[in-house]
Amino acid sequence: MKYSIFSLARAAFSGHKNWQRTWRDASPKARYDVVIIGGGGHGLATAWFLASEYGIRNVAVLEKGWIGSGNAGRNTTIIRSNYGLPGNTGFYELSMKLWERMEQDLNYNTMVSQRGVINLYHSDAQRDAYARRGNTMRINGIDAELLDLAAVRKMMPFLNFDNARFPVQGGLLQRRGGTARHDAVVWGYAHAASALGVDIIQNCEVTGFVRDANGKVTGVETSRGKIGAGKVGMAVAGSSSRVAAMAGLRLPIESHVLQAFVSEAIKPLIPNVMTFGAGHFYVSQSDKGGLVFGGDIDGYNSYAQRGNMPVMEDVCEGGMALMPMIGRVRLLRQWGGIMDMSMDGSPIIDKTPVDGLYLNAGWCYGGFKATPGSGLVFAHLLARDEPHQEAARFRLDRFRRGAMIDEKGVGAQPNLH
Amino acid sequence: MAEFSWLPRSPLEHALVVGACGAREVAPGISLTEIRNFDLIQIMARRGKGAELANAAKARFGMAAPEVPKAVSASDVTLIWSGPDQFLVLSKGGKHAMDILSQAFSQSASLSDQSHARALISISGTKARAMLAKLSSLDLHPASFPIGAAAATSIDHTSVNLWRGNDRPDGQAVFNLLVFATFAESLWHTMLDAAAEYGVDIGHSAEV
Amino acid sequence: MRIVCPFCGERELGEFTCLGDAKPVRPAAGASEDEVFDYVYLRDNIAGEMSEHWYHGGGCRAWLKITRNTLTHEICSVEPAAGAGARQAAR
Ligand SMILES: Cc1cc2nc3c(=O)[nH]c(=O)nc-3n(C[C@H](O)[C@H](O)[C@H](O)COP(=O)(O)OP(=O)(O)OC[C@H]3O[C@@H](n4cnc5c(N)ncnc54)[C@H](O)[C@@H]3O)c2cc1C
Ligand SMILES: [Zn+2]
Repeated sequence: MKYSIFSLARAAFSGHKNWQRTWRDASPKARYDVVIIGGGGHGLATAWFLASEYGIRNVAVLEKGWIGSGNAGRNTTIIRSNYGLPGNTGFYELSMKLWERMEQDLNYNTMVSQRGVINLYHSDAQRDAYARRGNTMRINGIDAELLDLAAVRKMMPFLNFDNARFPVQGGLLQRRGGTARHDAVVWGYAHAASALGVDIIQNCEVTGFVRDANGKVTGVETSRGKIGAGKVGMAVAGSSSRVAAMAGLRLPIESHVLQAFVSEAIKPLIPNVMTFGAGHFYVSQSDKGGLVFGGDIDGYNSYAQRGNMPVMEDVCEGGMALMPMIGRVRLLRQWGGIMDMSMDGSPIIDKTPVDGLYLNAGWCYGGFKATPGSGLVFAHLLARDEPHQEAARFRLDRFRRGAMIDEKGVGAQPNLH
Repeated sequence: MAEFSWLPRSPLEHALVVGACGAREVAPGISLTEIRNFDLIQIMARRGKGAELANAAKARFGMAAPEVPKAVSASDVTLIWSGPDQFLVLSKGGKHAMDILSQAFSQSASLSDQSHARALISISGTKARAMLAKLSSLDLHPASFPIGAAAATSIDHTSVNLWRGNDRPDGQAVFNLLVFATFAESLWHTMLDAAAEYGVDIGHSAEV
Repeated sequence: MRIVCPFCGERELGEFTCLGDAKPVRPAAGASEDEVFDYVYLRDNIAGEMSEHWYHGGGCRAWLKITRNTLTHEICSVEPAAGAGARQAAR
């Protein structure tokens, strides 16, 4: 079905009782040209780009639970393209441009809101680092503004400016950054891909790979039976190592838990997305009024989709340091998701050493903003067997070559990225 | 060369204001007393010399150094467990100062003088446990933390050595706390915030 | 998660820091590039019981070797890491 002002009016006249499913819940066929493992944002976006951009429509997305049950439905919905290193800068801007046209492309309201992302700085050194990052962005044609204290004060008069241990000095602003509704992104891609013939198959867990005599992957074993495939793409985020192990691969990845928090709804307060520069805290406000916030990963390997108290305490302390008045706001919900933390903090989109198996992983805590870009470049790789030019540096062998893309410069210690 | 006269000063010199603080309408539930002018030596066994250190400690102090989280006292010294094969020697009056102890332990241990590197705070009063419960994750109930119990732990993200001394003459428990000098002021303010509702009596003393 | 430090007793997680998988062993000098690459960059990333190094930095400052289930966060065993405590090391 196609959404428009007319479909909305028609549905309103019939008391909103006749809405149809936005996408088709398919059962597996015997074989597909491409099988994507993982029905998160990246898997679904990949399927849609395969069908819409590369004309490959005999595609299945296999999801072990329900679509969006992983990180796609657990993240804090921030989108931005303020990265500083070659490889990342261009890729995330490609993704940002795709966010800007997503609703038209998919015929789906994904609530993309370019309300701005501001990274606050609290010292001269941090200002210089942000100035450098902002300059890198501008050289690459990406919007960035370095705000001084007065400008930040005007934009967010409620911050603790006068009595803070780490006073705010200014911020790096990307006005085109913002948020998007995470579930709607999942449903939007499912809607558009399904309409082009892609099978979205839920409750279908991949449990092994089918290989031919030469070791080439020719299909997958699943909880719903064997499914043949010309090519298999993995987009399973925090489960990357587990699925790769089924093909005998070890990855430069560790799985860690990241928590998110939502407060009770309050009146409009926070106009943008902002990050505290002197601790681990970032926050935005949802359209329902809740403050959506988070901080650092817990720091230990985990597949448990829940975190522990010290990080909760740390995040709340960060929030209190920046805006002491939020101490009165009650916390409503808190949860965790499993991050595929790579050894340099940047993603991997590449063929694997196993013929017929392709990898999309290593998104760390920042893969939501990458969703459309990741879908496009992974579809390109699957369709053409060569990397998209904006993903040419996200190779699996870059660690061996010493070509790391390490924004934080902390080395191969995933819990520090 | 310029002449310096080094004046030892308490790291809490600015933060500590002697007198009453917080709630005034009640009798103070907390006493916060900074102990000044102490010697504090950290002793750590060298690799494989744990037993030798234990013997040397016994010879020097006339009592065994604690091998589990405890603090033990003789008339002029307290030995506080600070980790496996290591302890702190707290004393007053130069009797167990660095130059003397380094002789006694030169064969078995590495020593470092922490006398001016830590602040020593004594916490007592009817509400001492209630105040510490806001800041510490340890169970300080008398059954779990009796006289002589010690812990290397964190309070408000700050490493401290905490141990229970002898009770006050009025029967109230006494908790002693060593904190790095540069963190002392921050922890002091945190404790004052936590203690304010109970009424605080602030002082300092030269008596260890 | 609470961890029972063999030296200090049961403590809250905030006193500890996780270094990660205890299994990789630093290759000897002169090891092949493959061995070094494997040691630095590749991980088993186990879903289940995993042996890890943790540091009790907010307490006794001993390094610990902990077996923990990454699916449930259950802590199965805690022991001093090699070299933690001089007397331990001498044994
Ligand atoms: C708390 C939190 C906050 C975050 N905040 C942000 C943010 O603000 N901005 C941002 O850019 N990023 C953020 N992220 C990161 C972002 O959510 C992820 O990087 C991104 O969603 C990962 O891609 P995905 O959507 O495809 O993953 P997922 O949604 O996790 O998709 C993977 C899917 O694979 C499925 N799967 C796994 N194993 C199998 C199997 N064997 N067979 C079949 N299916 C399988 C899973 O069930 C899952 O649905 C955050 C993440 C978390 C947890
Ligand atoms: Zn300990």
